[in-house]
Amino acid sequence: MWPLRRSQESLSEEKRYASLYRWSYESRLAYLFLMPSVLLMLLFLIFPLLSGIVMSLQESTFAGEVSFVGLKNFRLLLREARFLNNLKLSITYVLGNLSLSIPLAYIAALIITSQDLRGLPLFRGVFLLPFITAPVVSSVIFLSLTDASSGPVTLLIERITGERPVILATPSLAMGTIIFHSFWRSFPFVMLFLAAGMTTIPNELYEAARVDGATAWHLFRFITFPLTRIHLALSMLIITMWTLQDAETVFALTRGGPGYSTEVLAVRLFKDSFINFNLNLGATVGVILLSISLLFMIAYLRLMQER
Amino acid sequence: MKRKKSRPFWKWIAVACISLFCVAPLLWGLKVSIAPQYDTSIIPRRLTGEHYRYIFSRPEFFQYLRNSVVVSLSTVAFALPLSLLGGYALARFNFPGKQFSFLFLVFPLLPLIAVLVPLVSFLNRLGLYNKLSALVVVNAVFNLPLTVWMLRNFIMEVPVEIEEAALVDGCSRIEALWKITMPLAIPGLVAATVFIFITTWNNYLYASALITKPSLRVLPQGILAFIGTWGTYWGGLTAAGIITLIPPLVLFLLFQRWFIAGLFGQMLK
Repeated sequence: MWPLRRSQESLSEEKRYASLYRWSYESRLAYLFLMPSVLLMLLFLIFPLLSGIVMSLQESTFAGEVSFVGLKNFRLLLREARFLNNLKLSITYVLGNLSLSIPLAYIAALIITSQDLRGLPLFRGVFLLPFITAPVVSSVIFLSLTDASSGPVTLLIERITGERPVILATPSLAMGTIIFHSFWRSFPFVMLFLAAGMTTIPNELYEAARVDGATAWHLFRFITFPLTRIHLALSMLIITMWTLQDAETVFALTRGGPGYSTEVLAVRLFKDSFINFNLNLGATVGVILLSISLLFMIAYLRLMQER
Repeated sequence: MKRKKSRPFWKWIAVACISLFCVAPLLWGLKVSIAPQYDTSIIPRRLTGEHYRYIFSRPEFFQYLRNSVVVSLSTVAFALPLSLLGGYALARFNFPGKQFSFLFLVFPLLPLIAVLVPLVSFLNRLGLYNKLSALVVVNAVFNLPLTVWMLRNFIMEVPVEIEEAALVDGCSRIEALWKITMPLAIPGLVAATVFIFITTWNNYLYASALITKPSLRVLPQGILAFIGTWGTYWGGLTAAGIITLIPPLVLFLLFQRWFIAGLFGQMLK
């Protein structure tokens, strides 16, 4: 008899209990599933991130004695000509790669997303080859291209200028090679990333605009560009982060030389920590690198929101 | 409509130029590795396998190769189940704190090289210096945020109704994940596998920070060591490079569609 006598109110209450039960069971299961990943990330990402900040405020002797020294490491670095040069080279590297890859990738993305190109998916694999090549491998190939006695790039420069340069021993050419190599690695990725953004724009928008008499420039200016602004900012952010923390390709190509003339921040960090084993100085460079990337992030967020 | 018919011809030329730009350095590397002498000719007069034979006559090369295979496969085996569980939780459950899941997307954007210094000194203290297992853990953890997110997006595309039907029929949540969702999310699992394998296989930085013992070096470290000892023996160096390129290339060619979907299609959501 009681199912009939049950009031509307108690029914909804029962439902609520059921959903509450399910909800808490579900969230317990969710925590269980996420726990291994989150614990690992806490232990190996977040904890080191924080302890890196602590390490940058410390000094240690070879005997292993650790003492707190405040901002001494930062003062030391910021007064050092070599470090200021590291900083300058990092910014050059980032801006160089950005100014090459972003505009060209944007134009290339506009071309490869146009409607009249059929069969393009066949090419996507080719476009991603630089992305799947190990940095060390592409560095070896670029080293052989710039070989001092008979590398094709060396001979090409000789043909143009009349002088045979030792490319990787000439500071400006060495930095240029590093930037171009990174450009080769990142351009196709950015192109496909932007193209993926462009294909999310519904075709009807373009058709409607064309009916209203919009020119190709109008279509770009008022539809494509504003609707891919987020993708543009994101791809700039991704490239900036890749370039800023790239120690591998610079190290493989020049080891920071000649002298310190291509020693970007990431290479400095790498040398200080893993070759000279001055981990506190390395951690300090790391904190500075982190702050620079936060600045870039804020800048790009601004760019994304701007109307 | 006053808009002129566009000319795909010029666009195809542009596409050809972009493709050439992408493959030219790799083709050059291939050419140097099979030409008997290093010169600027584009097509070698004679082909030779001597550089490859030389590489394979070096016992240390097999050590590097073995270490790379062990580390990359272990990293996949370690990170993939965790990514699947995490991705499933983010895709299917509502729970307090879910709003912080965007952090999974922030980590891949941070310069992880800054985390590397304290991490290495931490692993030293745990006695994990010069251990391949430490390299596996570091590679896995640095990949986790992105692969969890990748699998979340793939699982969200699997219709939830099939799973609900299974739950009504008396399946447990874990059975439903194992028997229903996982088989349907195979493209995502493959994409994550390929991604983890390639990034681990290609990485030099983490290995060089954690491994100094020559017998434990992975391939990218080995190649850099070869540069140190062989100088400008480009035939051998590019041959080692091409061999290193083969596993990522094969995986990529086999699973291109899913890999690209995982990297781009899903990343934009």
